[in-house]
Amino acid sequence: MKLIDLAALDHEERSTADIINSVCDELGFDYASYATLNPMKGDVQGYANYPDEWKIHYGSHGFHHFDPTIYQSVLSIAPVDWGRFNHDEKFNAVFRDANDFGITPRGLTVPVRGPYGECGLLNVTRDCSDAEWEKMKKHVMGDLQMAAVHAHDTVMQSGVLAKALYLPSLSTREKEILQWVAEGKSQQDIGDILSISHRTVEVHMRSGREKLGALTTAQAIGRAIGFGLIAPG
Amino acid sequence: MIIVIDGINQDKFKDVLDEMFKLRARVFGDRLGWDVNIKDGRERDHFDDLHPAHVVSINDSGDVVGCMRLLQTTGPHMLSDVFHSILDGDAPIRSSQVWEATRFCVDTKKLGRGRGENSVSYVTSEVMIGSFEYAKAAGVLDSIAVIDPVMNRVLQRSGNAPYDYLGTAKPMGKVVAMAALMDCSDERISGIRDYASIEHDVFLSDEEALELCARTKVQEKPGVANFDHQPLTRLEKYFVEQMNSATTKDEVDAVLRLIETLSDRFTPEQKTALLRTPRAFANEA
Repeated sequence: MKLIDLAALDHEERSTADIINSVCDELGFDYASYATLNPMKGDVQGYANYPDEWKIHYGSHGFHHFDPTIYQSVLSIAPVDWGRFNHDEKFNAVFRDANDFGITPRGLTVPVRGPYGECGLLNVTRDCSDAEWEKMKKHVMGDLQMAAVHAHDTVMQSGVLAKALYLPSLSTREKEILQWVAEGKSQQDIGDILSISHRTVEVHMRSGREKLGALTTAQAIGRAIGFGLIAPG
Repeated sequence: MIIVIDGINQDKFKDVLDEMFKLRARVFGDRLGWDVNIKDGRERDHFDDLHPAHVVSINDSGDVVGCMRLLQTTGPHMLSDVFHSILDGDAPIRSSQVWEATRFCVDTKKLGRGRGENSVSYVTSEVMIGSFEYAKAAGVLDSIAVIDPVMNRVLQRSGNAPYDYLGTAKPMGKVVAMAALMDCSDERISGIRDYASIEHDVFLSDEEALELCARTKVQEKPGVANFDHQPLTRLEKYFVEQMNSATTKDEVDAVLRLIETLSDRFTPEQKTALLRTPRAFANEA
């Protein structure tokens, strides 16, 4: 499982960076970050405006393997105040260190769920008093919901994810077979065309579906066309 | 009182959730005749596996008396994936500030008429207040509820009328389903609070809820019929067995009558112990 800093990949994600920065500037947070779990590989990708030293420390200590602000927050439909993790050993392990980098454990995570069940997380922190925090939450929660969905859609539509993960993973055979399916050929036909058994076709198709995170072949074809991996039939 | 159970605290409230799924089976399966999957007396569907938030009302005895399920409309939800025919072919609403409410029900067996604390009306309002306040705190502005015409009338009568409907009401098996829109606003919440005369904070913290469950469970624990650890007589054993195997209220009543009839066969202490033993079962039925 890798931790991928989307900012280092491509210029397109700059808009995600813009959203993250404007959340801090306009809503009054110290730091903000966006993260999403890749459903197939379990990688965590994201963008954060935390100090670079903290990002490096976080990644090199493997906090993304167990940070409850990621793994617990995906289990909620409502924004999760990190106060809920007060007694969580894993949370305390991450934020004891965070404190050394001037990052407060006072924060919250807004979970976003997409139509395929994929989840994105917008995290914000602010070092302030209890009263100030409660007041702030009431005031900005609606804006945070919108910012979260905006950040999520930007990452999902930017193709950064696809470039980082989806594209390299399909084999030539898998692409070839999906292309023939898109042309309307049956599994048996494809086996005959490629001179392989229909069972082999099935194995490649299953693998292709899994790599695309698709439940059905029809869905896999849709996604493969969407990513430009195959041409419409 | 209201407990919100989500994917984070679900492990703490396994028993409450189990009771809730049983209540849903009784209401949607038995009473309303909806086309739902019931397994082992519990109604669950695959949306329950997507970590929704369950807004659950429990009474002072720790029994589940009402519930509602909330899902984000940006993710998979019933209107987009199951009830789409209601929308007449239109795309479903997808918004981080709109949640979907489904499986809204109250226990009409445990709750009475009138407007008091243990009434259908009170618990209906309590669940609605809990849902709207929870949604509002999450920055959610509106909720879309999949309901039937009966629930629609209940809402209209209780200071909580939907402000609009999406698509058109459609028959779903034996019932008609409709998609009602309600704002999660202070005005609506105070309207429901006025109607039900509920002024207090309806939410229990996780700790308070766990304490209530623990307290009531100890009281209800059936245990053995003799508190002084005397060996059970054969007659006592018989009654405990009968009580344990009783599955309906009639059967429980029959055992209670038999204990009463044969009460000259044992001491008053034994009788009290025996009569206390089945309490929990009587509630269960």
